[in-house]
Amino acid sequence: MAKVVVIGAGFAGHTAALYLGSRIGRKHEVTVISNRDVFGYVPSWVWVGVGHMKPEKTIFKLKPVYDKMNVKFIHAAAKEIHPDAGNQYVLGDEVGTGKEVRLDYDYLVIAPGPLLNFAGMPGLGPENGFTHSICSLPHAIKTRDAYLALCERMKKGEKVKIVIGTGHPAATCQGAAFEYIVNVHKDLVKKGLRDKADILWLSNEPAVGDFGVNGVQIKRNGHLMRSEEFLTSVFNDHGIRYQVKTGVTKVEEGKSHWQNYEGEEGVTEFDFSMLIPQFKGQPFKYIGKDGEDISSKMVNPAGFVLVDGKYGLPYPELAQTPDAWPARYQNPAYKNVFAAGIAFAPPGPISKPFTNKNNLAIAPAPPRTGMVSGMIGRVVALNIADLIEKGEMTHSEPMTEMVAACIASMGDSLWDGNAVTIVMRPVVPDRKTYQNEFGRDLFTSHLEMGVSGAWMKFMLHHTFIWKFKARPGWTIIPE
Amino acid sequence: MQTSQEFSKAEKFWMNFKLYQFWRFIVLNLKILAAVYQSKRS
Repeated sequence: MAKVVVIGAGFAGHTAALYLGSRIGRKHEVTVISNRDVFGYVPSWVWVGVGHMKPEKTIFKLKPVYDKMNVKFIHAAAKEIHPDAGNQYVLGDEVGTGKEVRLDYDYLVIAPGPLLNFAGMPGLGPENGFTHSICSLPHAIKTRDAYLALCERMKKGEKVKIVIGTGHPAATCQGAAFEYIVNVHKDLVKKGLRDKADILWLSNEPAVGDFGVNGVQIKRNGHLMRSEEFLTSVFNDHGIRYQVKTGVTKVEEGKSHWQNYEGEEGVTEFDFSMLIPQFKGQPFKYIGKDGEDISSKMVNPAGFVLVDGKYGLPYPELAQTPDAWPARYQNPAYKNVFAAGIAFAPPGPISKPFTNKNNLAIAPAPPRTGMVSGMIGRVVALNIADLIEKGEMTHSEPMTEMVAACIASMGDSLWDGNAVTIVMRPVVPDRKTYQNEFGRDLFTSHLEMGVSGAWMKFMLHHTFIWKFKARPGWTIIPE
Repeated sequence: MQTSQEFSKAEKFWMNFKLYQFWRFIVLNLKILAAVYQSKRS
């Protein structure tokens, strides 16, 4: 009987656990270790952050789902990974008791989600800083409370400055920040307070609508349309000011310090700010058989797990080398260790990086959340099941072949809400297969805005929670 | 950096015209499903 351990129960880890339980759970031992005992549907936290959705509607208990899927659940925080042959195990601390738990494994999936690196930017974050976040449910709740308190001040006639975007020159997940800024706008319009707020989009993207994926380009009626033009229209239409090509360098109470591509330094004042932090890998200890630190064989300097990608290529070469992107998410040194979701180390950025004259690199990191995370979790799970049952892997899906859909909410109302529906094929441009300057399938790729997007977003919330609860038909709902 | 580009009145009309949007809802669902199943989901 093989033992498979999955660290983490987010989009990637939970998806992997469901497929593993379904394929091999009856004959083999599948265990999930997670420091949270609930699954959190992250895309809806943007609505929690404006007070439009109750937090409990975005979470559910994991154990009943795993019981049904023949998966064992350990509510503990993993801390050490011992991957050397003959003695392979994960150590963790049980949540609540602090008791140490040891999980031996034959196959390991590392999918714990990101470490929110607020510590990497002075003054950033809701705990020890002056900005807010919607990257975790407690943060989204705190953001909601601060936002509603701000609305009370506006009701008394106070004019306020709101700054939303990225809080680090190398941050990712601009999509979530975009959703939040437009939802704030819509909410203020509904409350009759929009004229009391000056709203600014502050981002490290090279252009509006870049989203860390080099933008989205489509062909409609024979004309080329770029996400830059589309999102610029959205911001202008909503009276949202924008400042891109900007890396936040420090936050103080009510002030964001930044540098831009030109190397200019500036300060933006705010009364309320939601800035996405940099993501890093979880700080696990990787320990060899003699007790030595083997982190360099397992992770890159940011803590992301090295997998079957080609690392170290300069950006111009990487942009022309689709094969550099991993396909099976398997660690090259320890073939029974896989990484899924944000945990795997990408070979480099998707958007063109930039370093200004002060040597500050302003470059969005590749997004690997949501649909991408789920798809990687499925590929990893199916390959592990293949290895156990057939001795060889049969699945692969690099981001240079992956299709991703993203519905960016712009108001949750089913009557007058809105959303941008984005389909990208592939997520990472492949200039060899798609011989245009963007490296994308311009026919399949899609960009559209309308109330239908709000219906899609509402539908996705319910169908995905259905899927993640492993209810009947869950496998036919795509990740 | 800021430009004056905005959606036209016609574009805004179609974005909120419910019958047309219902049609787009169906088309978008089919488009996403087709794209996902055309990829390497096997």
